Amino acid sequence: MNLKPKRSYISSTILWFYSAFTLFVLGYMTYQAFRSKKELLSNTFGWPDVFNFANFKKLFVQADFLRYFFNSAWILVATLVIIILLSSMVAYGIGKFKFRFKNTVLLYFLIGLMFPVQLGIVPIFLLIRDVGLLNSQWGVIIVLASGLSMPVFLLTTFFEKLPNDLYESAKIDGAGEWTTFMRVMFPLASPVIFSICIIMSVQIWNQFFVPLIMLQSEAKKTLPLMIMKFTNNLMYNIDLAMVGSVMATVPILILFFLFSGKVLEGVASGGVKG
Amino acid sequence: MTWFKKRPFLWFILPGFILYSVFSVYPIFSAFQISLNQWDGIGVKKFIGLDNYVELFSNKELFSQLTGAFKHSVFLFLLNTFAVLPAQLYIAYLLYSGIKGHRFFQAMIFSPQFIATPVIVFMGTLIFDGNIGVFNKLLEAVGLGEWARPWMGLPDFGMFIVWIMVAWSGIGVGMIFFLGAMKMISNEVMEAALLEGASYWRRFFSIVLPQIKTTVLNMLILTYIFAMTMFDYSFILGGVSGGINRSVDVMALFFYRIAFGDNSAVGGTMNVNAMGMGTTIACVMFAVIFLVAVIQVITTYRRTED
Repeated sequence: MNLKPKRSYISSTILWFYSAFTLFVLGYMTYQAFRSKKELLSNTFGWPDVFNFANFKKLFVQADFLRYFFNSAWILVATLVIIILLSSMVAYGIGKFKFRFKNTVLLYFLIGLMFPVQLGIVPIFLLIRDVGLLNSQWGVIIVLASGLSMPVFLLTTFFEKLPNDLYESAKIDGAGEWTTFMRVMFPLASPVIFSICIIMSVQIWNQFFVPLIMLQSEAKKTLPLMIMKFTNNLMYNIDLAMVGSVMATVPILILFFLFSGKVLEGVASGGVKG
Repeated sequence: MTWFKKRPFLWFILPGFILYSVFSVYPIFSAFQISLNQWDGIGVKKFIGLDNYVELFSNKELFSQLTGAFKHSVFLFLLNTFAVLPAQLYIAYLLYSGIKGHRFFQAMIFSPQFIATPVIVFMGTLIFDGNIGVFNKLLEAVGLGEWARPWMGLPDFGMFIVWIMVAWSGIGVGMIFFLGAMKMISNEVMEAALLEGASYWRRFFSIVLPQIKTTVLNMLILTYIFAMTMFDYSFILGGVSGGINRSVDVMALFFYRIAFGDNSAVGGTMNVNAMGMGTTIACVMFAVIFLVAVIQVITTYRRTED
């Protein structure tokens, strides 16, 4: 089928322009990361005298980049594991079993879609403080992991459509409820789980609001908070802001471009459907 | 025990149910309950009924901050709806029709999604800053040097700058969702339209758009919720106070300022009533979101029924 527009060059130009802009900004930032602070501020657009790695060294040694990185990574992994496990259990319970108030329970899990975390943050803050998890990464993990609405919604639709035969044959083979779920149902859902993982990862990795409120000591903070610390005092920290931004962005984008086909397919299939 | 054994689904639902209830649903109700008190978060709670709501709307300083923040949030929503959403549809349609290099463009346009907000704001600084910005250099290079401005610092442009960043980083998500919806349109319908000789844009307006209507309306609700709760861009750009003359203040930042950050000039009762007034603002935000979202949902389902 030929669906292409007749004069596609105008549209192409727009898309090329957009892509070129993004690439330019990223490239420009990376290029600047190799220059010294003095050069950056006094001779912003000049050619560098030498490309040097001093800023990178400063970021890793002085600014403790790896600590922030591992803080972020730990929060991401723990939150993802909890969200995936709990939401697939809930979705399986709602989607595969018949019981009264089933739709009410599903609706209850869906109202969370309308409540962004900001609205309840004061009570959440007080709650976390009262159980003594303030300034602990577990506080952030628990709060982020409680956002089950979207994954439950996507997975419930999946489990409902799954034919019942699989469940019954697992039963005949003598598997208990839990074994059936872990060995048969959970692996079957892996394509949906994959797309949920990507959508949630982006959200958790770049999460700003919850860590900002929950984490107070520098040793516990995450990457976005580190970068904000540098950009807040730009005249003083521009070299660290530059190199920190590059290190927080470029590796992830490279990963994305390597797997972009699969990632985009996953996100698109997990999209908001009617 | 047998009661539980007969209901195996409970074991699956309960753990998630408890976590979700305690940390996602309970806080909403608790927020409303706290908003009826005068409370600093540590000392004694004092029940004062709806006084916080009355004060929010009658205290001149608070009310002007509220309306200012609300206007900015609405501004963001309108720009996103009338500029970003059509752009997302346009790009999604181009990619759907298999324009040359569509895989590359798709990845390129989605990629800003992976960049953290502070980095995006920093990139904005690299471009629009008065001293180190590329944009001013570009203006000088083409002989428009007198137009050079410290763009990031101009209160008049504040929300516009915020919007540009939001649009650049967020355009990919909606685009991917629209593209996903378009790919589900059946081939027969498109083929029939092609045989009838419908033009490129005719096919878009008569077939594609009606088919993905629900996705568009869902996106609209998400855009609205996003605009009403957007926080990080304004916070990073303008700090707790919302920038010069509160030029980038938005609803969520106003709420944060009253509840957590307290170095504003408002002073007075704010300090002793941080949690009370903070949750009051959260409840007003919730009401604003809820009302519009419900209206949108109702109209969506009424339309899809005919």
